[in-house]
Amino acid sequence: MPRVTVTVRDSGGRTATATADYSIAAPVLGGYYLSGGADPTADIAGGNIRSLTQYRSLADGYVFPGYQKQWLTTLGRSGVQVNMVLELKHYGAPNAGPQTFAVDGTSYTVPAPAMTIQQRPGTTWPKAYGYGQVLAGQCDGLLARALSQYRALGFPVNIQLASELDTDHEFGTSEAGRAYTWAESDARAVQAMTYIVNWFRARSLPAGTTFSVGVGGFDRACFQRTHPESLMSRLDHLQWNVYATAANHTALDRFRRTRDWAVADLGPVALSRPVIIAEWGVRVAEIPNQAAWIATVPAAIAKLNAERGPRIVRTNYFNSGWGTLSPKAPGLAALKSAYATRPYV
Amino acid sequence: MAAPTATATLNASTYSSGDQMTLTVTYGDADTRPLTVTIVVTDAQGNSSAPVRVAAVIDPLTVTVTDDSGRSWARLSDNGAVAVYRAVA
Repeated sequence: MPRVTVTVRDSGGRTATATADYSIAAPVLGGYYLSGGADPTADIAGGNIRSLTQYRSLADGYVFPGYQKQWLTTLGRSGVQVNMVLELKHYGAPNAGPQTFAVDGTSYTVPAPAMTIQQRPGTTWPKAYGYGQVLAGQCDGLLARALSQYRALGFPVNIQLASELDTDHEFGTSEAGRAYTWAESDARAVQAMTYIVNWFRARSLPAGTTFSVGVGGFDRACFQRTHPESLMSRLDHLQWNVYATAANHTALDRFRRTRDWAVADLGPVALSRPVIIAEWGVRVAEIPNQAAWIATVPAAIAKLNAERGPRIVRTNYFNSGWGTLSPKAPGLAALKSAYATRPYV
Repeated sequence: MAAPTATATLNASTYSSGDQMTLTVTYGDADTRPLTVTIVVTDAQGNSSAPVRVAAVIDPLTVTVTDDSGRSWARLSDNGAVAVYRAVA
């Protein structure tokens, strides 16, 4: 850590010294996600794209690197930083029932997922392993399976537990026939996330492993409820997602929103943690010129990082859903141009 | 003679490469006194010159700033009690 030293000397040779330490942060990592969890190697070639988000269900037998995702191993070993979202959410058939499998010679049986999440009216509610199931130790086999594969991966990742707890809980949840409100679901999730991160941390992990919990970051009360200091002391990063979905949305406003809530509402442990933007995107329906909006992101990140509060250290563009780059070529070119700009270099 | 005092404060603890960094130095010494010397020259006939005033400082202080990373700090201002320096991260 660099140190500046001030010396004040009088005419008689008497001196006083004072020091101030500071650090120069590494450049922000520009990152990416390609729809469907597809291989992004071709898209990121030639750009300063050094960070990726990936999504896996713990129900899946292939969590690390993922089924037919050898490219992730290649990218990770080449130094791309991976934010691995591990979800209790079940992505659907097959294996929607109980599972019995062996991990390193030990047999585990995990019951069928007993929770429903994302209970938006008029939709089919996805299944997930329940927070109660996690706390009862019934999902330990899923964790053991993921850990065994992770140890063979060859590089450390940030494990983000859940994709967006706010999206999962927004309309309440239910587990084993009992309904829980949004706030109750948040409280239960904090307990379950604490259980999972403690479970991992109690075991040998690849050096450099870090943890975070996933939130969209669109609801201030939920963001506060899901980031108690007791949990943050077990985590290494803050995280939220950023989308521009209205014509008047600016990059500075959108990246700032959740950050400002964090600075106002969270404790010192949480605010000491750097921030991973696991997803950011520009919705083309409202903002047809995605490239122009993307070009404003570096200055916004630089400005926010110059302010008091947690530093944003990775921003992963979500080229899917709301963030789909359309047309793709100019959007991708704008992204690479942005990532070639301070504070990304 | 008293010893001088000094404090050093940066405007942030972490910077991104290229950021402007500001260092504020507050310093002083109980002995340091500004004064004004007024000189009047008088000849043998009693003719006196107009008075000339000169400012002086008893026990003046010098401030030096060093950085162990080799970064150079430029002085922007110094009023004798507070000095402000700038560098680029």
